[in-house]
Amino acid sequence: MSSTAIVFRKELREILRDRRTLVAIALAALATPIVLFVIAQVSTKTASSVYTVGYSGQIPAGLDVLFNATGLKLVEIADPAGAAKHQVDLGVVFTAKGVDEYYDPTRQSAQLADVRFQTILSRYDAAKVAASLQQQGVDPSVLNPLPVSVHPLSSPAQAAGNSFLSFFLPYILITMSLTGGLSAALDTSAGERERKTLESLLLTPAPRSQVLIGKILAVSVISLAAALAAIASMLIALTQIRFGEAGGTFPVHLSTAAAAVMVWLAILLAASFSSVTITLGTLARSFRQGQAYATPLYFITIFPASIVLFIPDFNPNLAYYLIPILNAVLVLRDAIVHGTVDWLSLVVTSVSLALTGGLCFFLALKLFTREALLIRS
Amino acid sequence: MTQTAIRVDRLEKQLGTNKVLRGISFEARSGEIFGLLGPNGAGKTTTLRIICTLLAPDAGSVEVLGFETRTTPQEVRRRVGVVTAEIGVYPRLTARENIAYFAELTGVDGQVDSRVDAVVDRLDMASFANQRAESLSSGQKQKVAIARAIVHDPPVLMFDEPTSNLDVLASREIREFMVESRGRGKCVIFSTHVLHDAERLCDRVTIIHQGQVVASGTTGEVRGKQEDLEDAFLSLVEAAT
Repeated sequence: MSSTAIVFRKELREILRDRRTLVAIALAALATPIVLFVIAQVSTKTASSVYTVGYSGQIPAGLDVLFNATGLKLVEIADPAGAAKHQVDLGVVFTAKGVDEYYDPTRQSAQLADVRFQTILSRYDAAKVAASLQQQGVDPSVLNPLPVSVHPLSSPAQAAGNSFLSFFLPYILITMSLTGGLSAALDTSAGERERKTLESLLLTPAPRSQVLIGKILAVSVISLAAALAAIASMLIALTQIRFGEAGGTFPVHLSTAAAAVMVWLAILLAASFSSVTITLGTLARSFRQGQAYATPLYFITIFPASIVLFIPDFNPNLAYYLIPILNAVLVLRDAIVHGTVDWLSLVVTSVSLALTGGLCFFLALKLFTREALLIRS
Repeated sequence: MTQTAIRVDRLEKQLGTNKVLRGISFEARSGEIFGLLGPNGAGKTTTLRIICTLLAPDAGSVEVLGFETRTTPQEVRRRVGVVTAEIGVYPRLTARENIAYFAELTGVDGQVDSRVDAVVDRLDMASFANQRAESLSSGQKQKVAIARAIVHDPPVLMFDEPTSNLDVLASREIREFMVESRGRGKCVIFSTHVLHDAERLCDRVTIIHQGQVVASGTTGEVRGKQEDLEDAFLSLVEAAT
C-alpha cells in the first residue's frame, strides 16, 4: 500500500472518530432545513397576519368589505395619527376630500399594512371609476387603451425558484466545503504539532509529499461529504416545506447539467479548500492558532456569493472566471438559471481552482519540509 | 570486533543565530549502549535530530550503517527508531492502531499484524492494546511510543531523555528495554542529563558541552579518577567553560 493510501485511511479513521467533525457535518445537513423551516413559518405567519387600522370619519361604502378581505381589521378611534405610533399598525382619517394615512415606516407591521392599504385603495378607485363610466355609458376599457397580454416563456414560479437556488446553492456549496472540513484540516496539520506526533511521522521513510496528499485527500472527502449533505438536505427540504399562506412547496428543479456542474465544482472546491486550510494549519503551532488563521477565509467565501445576490445580472467577461470561488459561484449560477453549461467558463474555472489547490499544496509541502517546522514546535 | 553503526564527523549546526553544534565527532557501535551526555542546551537533541535526518547539518557528516544522512535519508530512517520524552500519540486511535500505522509507513509490508503482535507482547501491552490512546496513562503511552519506534525492528535505537516525564516504575521498564535491545545486538543511543542512569547503563559515553565534545570513551575512562560520572562531568564542564 502506498504511503498516501496509508495516511488517507488513518486520517479518515481519526476524523470519523472526532466529534467536532461529525457535529460539523450533522449541522451542515440540518442547518439549511431548519433555516428554511423558520423562513416558511415566518412567511406563512406574515401572509396570514391581520393588521389593525385605526380610523376616524366616514368609511366610503364598500371599502370596509375590501378591508376585511385583505386582512386589515378596522377599529374606530379618536386620534388615528397618534395611535399609529404604537397602538395600531396604520392610522386613517376619512375626510370629505379624501383619505389621510399615518404610519411609522420603522415598524415592519406598519409597512406591510401600508402595502395592503394601498392595494385596497387602487382596487377601490378602479372599481369606482369603472362603475361611474358605465353609468355614463362609456366602456371602462377606455382607461386601458393598450391592453397587454403577458406570455411567459417559462414558469415565473420556476424562474423565482431558479433565482433563489442560484444564490443559495453556490453559497451553501462554498461555505460547507470550507467549514465542513476545516476542523479536520486543522487537526491533521496543526494538531500533529500540538499533540507532538509530527516528529514521529516525519521520522518515517514515507515521502512527505505522499503524506501530505493523503491528508489532503482525507480532508477533501469530509469537505465534499459535508457540502453534498447540506445541499441534498436543502433540496429535500425545499420540496417538503410549504411556504406562504397558500401552502405551496418551492418550485425546485435542478437540471442534470447543473447537478453535474455542482458535483464537479464541489470536488474542486473541497480539494482546494483542503489544501488551503492544511497550509494554514501547517503554519500554525496549535489548533486554536490555525482557527485564527482560517477566520478570514469565511469572509472571502461569503463575498462572491453575495455578489450574485446583490447584482443578479452580473455577467462578467471570461477573465473574472480566473478568480477562485467567484468563478465557481458564476458557473453554478449560470448552470442553474439557464440549465446549460458554458464549457469555456467551466474549463477556465476548473483550471483556476486546480491551480489554487496545486499552489497551496506546494506551499504546504514547502512548509512541511522546512526545518523550522520542527524547531518552532 | 563490533560494527560501527553510527559515525558522526565534525558536525556543525546553527539554529537561528545560535551555533548549536561546533564540530562534534563520535562513533557508536552495534551491541552497545552509547551515552550522549550533557547539560540542557548542550546540543544533544540537535545531534540526534541530525542523525535521524530531521535536520540537515551545516557542515560535517553522519553515516548510519553506511548510509549518509544527506544523500540517502530514507535508507537511514528505515534503520532508525527514535523515542523522545514527548509522548505524542494519536488519541483517537487505539494503541494497536497507532503502532500499525507506523509499521505500515516504515514499510513493514504483509506482516504488519504479526509485527504489531510481537511488540505488543514484548512490551507487555496486551491489556491496553485495544484501548484508545486518549485513555492511556503516561507510562502506557510511552510504551506505545517505544512500540511504534521499534515495530520495524531497526538496528539503531535512539532514546532522547526518555524517562524525563515518567514515574519510577515506567522509567525502570525503559532502562530494562534498552539493556534488552543491546543484548539483541542493537546500537542504542541514550541521550540524557541524568548521569546516574548513564553510569549504570552505558558502555561508552560522549559528553557534549556548548556544542563541543569535552570527553569521550568508556564510562570508566571518562570517570577517570573521580568518584562517579557526575563528578567527572562537573569537572569537565567547569574546565571547558
